[in-house]
Amino acid sequence: MAATTVFSSRSERGRGRETAARGATAQQSAERRRQIRRRSLRADFEGWGFVGPAMVIVLGLSVFPAVWAFLLSLQKWNGFSTPTNVGLANYATMITDGQLRAAVNHTVLYTALFVPTSVLLGLFLAVALNRRIVLVGIYRTAIFLPFVASAASTGILTTYLFNPQYGLVNNVLRVLGLPQQGWLENPSQAMVVITLMSLWGQAAFTTVIYLAALQDIPGELLEAARIDGANVWQSFWHVTFPQLAPVTVFVTIWQTIGAIQLFDLVYTTTRGGPLNATETIVYYMWKSAFKNLEFGYGSAVAYGLFAVTLIITIGVVLYSRRTKVEAF
Amino acid sequence: MPPASHTPHRVRRVVLAATGLATVTALAGCGGSQSAATSLNEQAPVTLTWWTGQADTAETILEDLAAEFHTLHPNVTIKVSSGAPTTDDLLQKLSAGFAGDSYPDISYAYGSWAGELEASGRTLDITDKVSDPTVKWSDFSSAARQTAKPTGGKTIGFPAVVDDIALFYNKTVFDAAGLAYPTADWTWDDFRTAAKKLTDPSTNTYGYAYSVSGGEETTWQFWPHLWQRGGDILSADSKKATFNSQAGVDALTFLRGMVIDDKSVYLDQTDTNASPLFASNRVGMITAPPWELYDLKVAGTNYGVTLMPGYNGNHETISGPDLWALFDHKDPNRAYWSYELAKWLTDPAQDLKVNVGYGNLPLRPVEMDTPEFRDQAQSQPGFDVLAKNIVNAVKVRPTVQGYAPLSEAIGTAISSVLQGQGDPRQALDAAAATADQALAG
Repeated sequence: MAATTVFSSRSERGRGRETAARGATAQQSAERRRQIRRRSLRADFEGWGFVGPAMVIVLGLSVFPAVWAFLLSLQKWNGFSTPTNVGLANYATMITDGQLRAAVNHTVLYTALFVPTSVLLGLFLAVALNRRIVLVGIYRTAIFLPFVASAASTGILTTYLFNPQYGLVNNVLRVLGLPQQGWLENPSQAMVVITLMSLWGQAAFTTVIYLAALQDIPGELLEAARIDGANVWQSFWHVTFPQLAPVTVFVTIWQTIGAIQLFDLVYTTTRGGPLNATETIVYYMWKSAFKNLEFGYGSAVAYGLFAVTLIITIGVVLYSRRTKVEAF
Repeated sequence: MPPASHTPHRVRRVVLAATGLATVTALAGCGGSQSAATSLNEQAPVTLTWWTGQADTAETILEDLAAEFHTLHPNVTIKVSSGAPTTDDLLQKLSAGFAGDSYPDISYAYGSWAGELEASGRTLDITDKVSDPTVKWSDFSSAARQTAKPTGGKTIGFPAVVDDIALFYNKTVFDAAGLAYPTADWTWDDFRTAAKKLTDPSTNTYGYAYSVSGGEETTWQFWPHLWQRGGDILSADSKKATFNSQAGVDALTFLRGMVIDDKSVYLDQTDTNASPLFASNRVGMITAPPWELYDLKVAGTNYGVTLMPGYNGNHETISGPDLWALFDHKDPNRAYWSYELAKWLTDPAQDLKVNVGYGNLPLRPVEMDTPEFRDQAQSQPGFDVLAKNIVNAVKVRPTVQGYAPLSEAIGTAISSVLQGQGDPRQALDAAAATADQALAG
């Protein structure tokens, strides 16, 4: 849209000069104003024509549902009966809801396990893959493949690997003479298993981002460091890593938001079990709305989650502005 | 809640955020509106929308019958479709349809939705019509009739599919352990003893499998235990949960004994493992509904089916009937023909095609005396046992609003206790308190 506007306003100016040269009578200038208006109307129309379709989708699929979900969060509604307005009661319930608190704890645990590991692992893999080695294309593809696999297939794979009775991992342990583990059926191990499988799928994302960023680092900086006598570690730590700072901020936020919204892998592996040990906020929200038919409460939880992600994002953006690290 | 088809669709649409939550509601729902008639004219052209909730063969059978009905009554055009990708999704589609005022005339519905559907105020009430003796309403099982009349007020539709659970035993596993097969007069103590003997940690073989997903699968398997011991789910006025009675505590203590003390039960976290494990001779016994038969036939498992074990000679089971729910469009012609279609569809002549031909249990006992039924019993051993077992479904699973959270509360309690956390009485008391809150609305 921007390009069109600039273009037409430029031609407007050209035409204006031509008209002025012919001598501007009052009639002419009125005519000119009309033309300009017609022109700018057309420009407007063209502009809206370009943004229109996208806007309908954004309004229909994001803004409208978001507004409706907010209205729902002020109601008690099971999807069928007439909704009753309950004001902020749903939000008040959230404060004292023990199950929600547990879900928050599980989500925080997962985020704490997943985000640092995925960022560091991505950095490590990117540095390892950012060199001239034989078959590097194959390695890069192999790292990226799990990212393409859907969460459903990752989930199925997880249950094959980590089933306590019949899974591959316990079979390997048995062969090695090590004690059998409960994995997905042990409340204190299930979240770790889910983190492992998320990392398998998601590490590719951070790797690819870091890989792109590494290739953007000017070679002369590293060269200069080398000439100044820096060793490999020093040039990584003092040249490469600071250059990667914006990307690190970006992937950290991105992975954090993704981690807070964990749902699919839980749904396909444990359904929140064993003993609710893997029930995350989004899973709890889904369960409230679609299984217990408490749409109002589910929406309220969704808004609570939205507030948290918003605060995190604003916080990090402000921090990165102050420290002059441009992540966004 | 029991899926209606042989192959329960496990893949469900997952909506990640509340925005999605409302998107579904906003975007789903289709079907045009027609100008409503004010008085009944049986000859006037009428178009009905029918959501079957079925896929594949089951859907084809119903589409053929819709065409047949149109041939019989040329003025009735039926727009038939499955309505939603899976039967589970129909609930959201209906909810969205009510919001957008474009819902079908007839829809498949799980029995557990009946209370919500009636509360929507969009259903027809066919109580008077079905009291006509020619409908033979009383031939339907009592569980099916009560589900169609969820709060005892309105009859919102016809039974569509009936089922019950019975004891399936794996003959290969029994033979390997040198045990006699279960019989129809087994007690739960016989069952427990056998399960213990069938369990062999060295081969990862279990005597029994029980769901600990905490979902309806966990819950509905528990109700026969409660009922056989004389307990009830709800108080007579349906306002309070009573499953935490002594009967409930005893039932849960019994299961806990099998799981924790005997270690003879495979605990299924996701409701997807028990059935394949039974089919592949890793689990000796399961208590399962009729659609299990199809999977066992495909897997070539050597199995038998008998009644549920009993307590003091009471072999009660549970049934989860599904419905053809009928919806009101303030149009007497559409109401008339929706009713006629559902009545015709559930007549024995048609039901033999819809249910028996497909491998579901017959809606009425009279159908058991037909070649179609005998064929099915021949090709799927145990089919006849399950069909006859329907009379043992004496009590009905509640269809009141608030059953979903109640089920969730007790499901969680059962799965906690079976996984070694908490004591049966305390867990059930806590679940009952949560359920009471939900029932109070």
